[in-house]
Amino acid sequence: MYRIEIDRSLCSGFGVCAELAPDVLEVGKDGIASVRTGSTPDPVVLEAANACPMAAITVFEEEAA
Amino acid sequence: MAAGPILIVGAGLAGTRCAETLRAEGYEGHIVVIGDEVLAPYERPALSKEYLAGTKADHELLIRAPSFWRDREIELRLGDAVARVDRSRRRATTAAGEEFAWNVLVLATGARARRLPFPTPPGVHTLRTVVDARALREALVPGAHLVVVGGGFVGAEVASTAVSLGVRVTMLEALAAPFERTLGSTLGRLLANRYRSYGVDLRVRTGAEGFRSGADGSVSAVQLTDGNEIRCDVALVGIGIEPARELVPSPVEGVPVFTCGDVNGGVGHWTSAAAEAAAVARRILGLPPHPAQPSFFWSDQFGLRLQLVGRAVATAAVDLEGGTDDFIARYHDSDGRLVAALGANRPADVAHLRRELAVAA
Repeated sequence: MYRIEIDRSLCSGFGVCAELAPDVLEVGKDGIASVRTGSTPDPVVLEAANACPMAAITVFEEEAA
Repeated sequence: MAAGPILIVGAGLAGTRCAETLRAEGYEGHIVVIGDEVLAPYERPALSKEYLAGTKADHELLIRAPSFWRDREIELRLGDAVARVDRSRRRATTAAGEEFAWNVLVLATGARARRLPFPTPPGVHTLRTVVDARALREALVPGAHLVVVGGGFVGAEVASTAVSLGVRVTMLEALAAPFERTLGSTLGRLLANRYRSYGVDLRVRTGAEGFRSGADGSVSAVQLTDGNEIRCDVALVGIGIEPARELVPSPVEGVPVFTCGDVNGGVGHWTSAAAEAAAVARRILGLPPHPAQPSFFWSDQFGLRLQLVGRAVATAAVDLEGGTDDFIARYHDSDGRLVAALGANRPADVAHLRRELAVAA
C-alpha cells in the first residue's frame, strides 16, 4: 500500500497529479490539490508525486495491515 | 547502480529534490547535502511575498520538516560552503576545512542575484536568500519610499508586498512595459495599468545610473537614466540572477559530476529546477527519465495569482478572455498553434489549460 501526503503550502496548482491519479488526488476550486483517499495500492501515485513540479507530494510505502 | 557516497553541493530546491529522489528510487548508500546557508532547504518563492510581509515564519519556509532528513538518513550539512573540488581524488573541501569523499558529485549550487555594474551604498538590497529577505523586511516600514530597479518577477512581487505594508513604491522598468519580454506587450500594458492603479509610480524605459547617499552613508536617492533623480529610503535591485558556476568543471572522462537547477543558467523562476534535479538522480541510478512536463510558473502580485503554462513568447498573438481581475491569456505562434497559456486568478482552469497545451503540442 502507498500512503500519500500533500504539502498544500507548496502546491501551486499545476494539477498534473490529479490527472495522473484522479482516484487519489484532486484539485479543488481554490486550485490547490488535496488527497481524496489517504492510501492506495496503485503505484500510479509514485508517478503523480514525481510529476509534481513543486515536490509537494510524498508517498510512503507501507506494509498492508 | 552507483556505489559509494553521493555528495550534493547546494541545499536549495534542486539539491533537496535530487537527494530525495535518490532515496525514493532505492539508493541505499550515503548521501550528503551540503549548503552554505544556515537555514535548512527552504521555499524561495515565499521570500518576496509571505515572508517579506511577515506572515510566514522561518519554520514555515522549510521545504521538508527536519524529520524528513533524519527518516531518510540524508546527511544535511549547513552553514559551510564547498570551496574546492578535487576530481582526481574525488574529494571536496569546505571553506571551514572539512573534507568529504564522494563517488558521485552533484553540483546544485544555484544562482545569486545579479548586481548593478556600479557601487551601491547600504540600503540598496537584492533578494535571493532568507538573510536578504530579513534585511529588506526591516527596511520596509510604513511611509518609507522604496525604489525597485527592474520590473521582473522579484521586483513586482516585492513592490506588491511593499504597497500592502504601506510603503511608497517607484518601479523602474527598462522596456516599454513590465514583463514585455516574458509575457508580451499586451500583458505588459495590462500589468502596468494595474501597478499604477495600486499607487505604484511606474517609470518605463528607465533604468538606474547611480545612487546618492545621505549623511549616514545609506542610500538617499536613485539617479535615473533619463537624467532625473528620485529620493528614496531603500532600494531593491531585481535584475535577474547569475548562475554560481565556480565549482562547475569542464568534464573529465569517467568522473561522474552532474549539475542541476539554476546553476545551469536556466530561467530560474520556473519549476524546471526540481524536474532537472529529479532527472539527474534518475540518471545517476541508471533509470530512464520521466516524461517532461511543460514549464510552469506562478507569481502572486497586486491581487493577481498569475499561473503560466508553457513559454510565452513576446512575438506570439495573444487572446484575452475575461476581465482585468480574472482572465486567461492564450499565446499562439505564427501557425496559430497554442504555445502558452496564462491564468490570472483562474486557479481552477490551470489543469485544463495544461491539457489544451498538451493537445496542441
